[in-house]
Amino acid sequence: MSTIEQEMAHAAKGGHHDHHELPFIRKYIFSTDHKMIAKQFMFVSLFFLVIGGLLATMMRWQLGWPSEPMPGGMMLPDAMMAPTPDGAIMLPEFYNSLVTMHGTIMIFFAIMPLLVGLFGNLLIPLQIGAEDMAFPRLNMISFWLAVPAGILMLSSFAVEGGAAGAGWTSYAPLSASGEWTGVYLGQQLWLVSLTILGFSSLVGAVNYITTVINMRAPGMTWFRMPLATWALFVTAILILLAIPILAGALIMLLFDQTLGTGFFRPEVGGEPLLWQHLFWFFGHPEVYILILPAMGIASEVLSNRARKPIFGYHSMVLAIISIGFLGWIVWGHHMFMSGMNPLLGTSFMISTMAIAVPSAIKTFNWLATVWKGDLHLDSPMLYALAFVSMFIIGGLSGIFMASTPVDIYIHDTYFIVAHIHYVLFGGSLFAIFAGITFWYPKMFGRMMNETLNKVHFALTFVFYNLVFWPMHNLGLQGMMRRIYDFTQYDYLAPLQPMNQFISIFVFLLVASQSVYAFNFFWSLFKGERAGNNPWDSNTLEWTVPSPPPHGNFPEMPVVYRGPYEYSSPESDTDFYPQTQPPPSKPSVQALIPEPVTPTPEGF
Amino acid sequence: MSTGEAHKPPPYMLVWVGLFALTIMEVLIATVTSIPKIWLVIGLMAMAFYKAYLVAVYYMHLKWEPKRLWLLVSVPIPLIMILIFVVLNEIF
Amino acid sequence: MTTQAMTAGRAPMPGMKVYNLKLGMWIFLLSEVMFFTGLIGSYVILRFAHPEQFAEPGQVLNINLTAFNTFLLICSSVTMVKAYAAIQQGDQQGLKNWLLATIVIGASFVGVQVYEYIALAGEGFVPIADAYHAVGRHMPHDGPAIGGQLYGSTFYTMTGFHGTHVSIGVLCLCFTYWRAAKGAYTADSLGGVEIMGLYWHFVDLVWIILFTIVYLI
Repeated sequence: MSTIEQEMAHAAKGGHHDHHELPFIRKYIFSTDHKMIAKQFMFVSLFFLVIGGLLATMMRWQLGWPSEPMPGGMMLPDAMMAPTPDGAIMLPEFYNSLVTMHGTIMIFFAIMPLLVGLFGNLLIPLQIGAEDMAFPRLNMISFWLAVPAGILMLSSFAVEGGAAGAGWTSYAPLSASGEWTGVYLGQQLWLVSLTILGFSSLVGAVNYITTVINMRAPGMTWFRMPLATWALFVTAILILLAIPILAGALIMLLFDQTLGTGFFRPEVGGEPLLWQHLFWFFGHPEVYILILPAMGIASEVLSNRARKPIFGYHSMVLAIISIGFLGWIVWGHHMFMSGMNPLLGTSFMISTMAIAVPSAIKTFNWLATVWKGDLHLDSPMLYALAFVSMFIIGGLSGIFMASTPVDIYIHDTYFIVAHIHYVLFGGSLFAIFAGITFWYPKMFGRMMNETLNKVHFALTFVFYNLVFWPMHNLGLQGMMRRIYDFTQYDYLAPLQPMNQFISIFVFLLVASQSVYAFNFFWSLFKGERAGNNPWDSNTLEWTVPSPPPHGNFPEMPVVYRGPYEYSSPESDTDFYPQTQPPPSKPSVQALIPEPVTPTPEGF
Repeated sequence: MSTGEAHKPPPYMLVWVGLFALTIMEVLIATVTSIPKIWLVIGLMAMAFYKAYLVAVYYMHLKWEPKRLWLLVSVPIPLIMILIFVVLNEIF
Repeated sequence: MTTQAMTAGRAPMPGMKVYNLKLGMWIFLLSEVMFFTGLIGSYVILRFAHPEQFAEPGQVLNINLTAFNTFLLICSSVTMVKAYAAIQQGDQQGLKNWLLATIVIGASFVGVQVYEYIALAGEGFVPIADAYHAVGRHMPHDGPAIGGQLYGSTFYTMTGFHGTHVSIGVLCLCFTYWRAAKGAYTADSLGGVEIMGLYWHFVDLVWIILFTIVYLI
């Protein structure tokens, strides 16, 4: 509160665009600088990534060694673990909470804020040549709404009845009344937390869209925008239009839980299917919210590290836009098993398969980009290549699910779990690793340690595949997901060795992330100093010092060409920055009017 | 910048009269007349959307905004139609 | 706020030729459209799926009272646009007067809605499924309940969220009035009034749709 007043008083004094040192709390905590907000989002969501990973290890213990005492389980309260003389055994209710919270935290509090909060904030103003976001204060509010949402979500583990246990999709009527899951307050906290987080994302999306439309530097036309910014722009539109639908549905479900309304409760005439429709009408655009920025990041890294122009820039942009649109008309493929008009089911099947077209365009363009390129196989490139290959596997298994007849067989099995982790871990998270490694010098002015990164890459890539590939088999053999103890079914009991195999590699996978964590913090202080442009990149963010100063660009950049002119014959070096004027023509700089000093936006 | 300056003053009061008259008509049609339900619904919805259009175009000054803003504003419309159409299709 | 602030120094550059604040408000309103689509869409779907749970127009809801309320909101829209027209001419006093009128009429709308809620709840028309026993306005009080639980749930959620938006709008209008009283707006710098107007007209627009769908059909 007081900081806003301070800021208003500060602005009233006419002190904008000044370079004096801000007080600590304004610089590091209630900052309006998009780069600082990006870093804040990064630290908070990396923390949640760790939490989500730990939840997964607990789940995998139960699946690998069903109903055996969990090491360290005695430290957890009795509401989660049943103490026995040999140790503590996980309770089924707690397992349900683990499944729900792992999904919720990873999707809403780790991957989404990493892709949108971190890269959206960091890259959009820098790549379009703006001094900050259009609404810096709203940007700060966006982050400070996400924090209480995260605290509420975590605190639900401590309340009576435990955390939400109805799955990350919270299907009604399971979620509509505590009598089914035994979770009362936890489910309500889940709903409130996601509503607040939704508002945070919404505020961010308004900011990103306005910034991209209005704040581009002279010469930065739509088709000179880097693909990462394009992807983040389309993602912001998806967030803008999808999140309110979720918010409405969450609020109705909250009313069902607390006030006793009957939207989704069949016993008073409500429609559980309505929840599924509303949730997936949001949920499928959400899937693309989680992958489009990753695609943009991969495009940047691949083109740069292959020292070649991205293949088919315009088709890449059109593919992003058409994925963004098609994402709205496919949500029914999540509901083939919910009972659906066959004609409608077929339409959803066809529209879903249609998304394979732009996705394949992007994939082939990436392959053509690296084809015969001057490959620099350093760590960002390795992560990006892993993204492409894992995305192909995840995309292909997606087509299995899109076909109704196959989906009926594999629905709600570990095949789905394998698929979502191939696109979300193998896809989004590898791209996040690529992005953090690639832009780390721009954020902190130092390079990450290359050797440690390669070790981390090798371990993660191998363990990751050993974890998730066998899950396809588990699914095809009929092991259902979200199950507490599959050995209670005779036909699933023989799968226990494979589950133990997976669990062992999950533990190794989680443990190997400590390499990255160590590298991250070690490089903050000991990393090799990075210059302005350590990757010899063309885009605008590399023309300014690392880390960029307050206000980003000392003078307004002027853009002359697209972002991917690597190995151009017109340039002396193998890159050709967007701001470098063409050699023979007179400088356009003289023709551009002196930029008016921008003032902060306010009410 | 000021949208109305180059034009004659927008017909704010005329639009208000139109909105008022349409509201009266709507209430009368809904309460007094007894036309078949389907035509009632279509007629009332058409009038409601026309009123909404009037508010958006005159009071929210869309009439004097660049065409790109029209494009932006019309983005949700197909999505709304898809959602309602498909879910209604499902219920029956 | 100065003219420079409105154009943010970027007017001759690529962009929408609409200043940031206004563009941002329009984009925010798009998400509001989707929010109300979720609520109204749910009502339409539930009503088609369970017609027996809903009542005919006028049986339970008081159309005349709400038609008057609609009239109030339309009037507040025209006073708001008059406030904007006044400051376009640099008329400070006109701005303040019309803003005050908008605040008064907007607050009256909320007041009438609260009165409506109290009256309806007195007839047993409540959102809570287990306590629902709406008797309707023209029925004897010992008659059977009209409609069903979904009717109350959807009605109060939709109109309640709209009422919340109006209330927030009234608070923001008070803030705008306070700024106007300090002379913060001029003919060159009226972004705050304009985006306030956009929000207010949007709330009016939603009510126009809501009134027809909920009360008349």
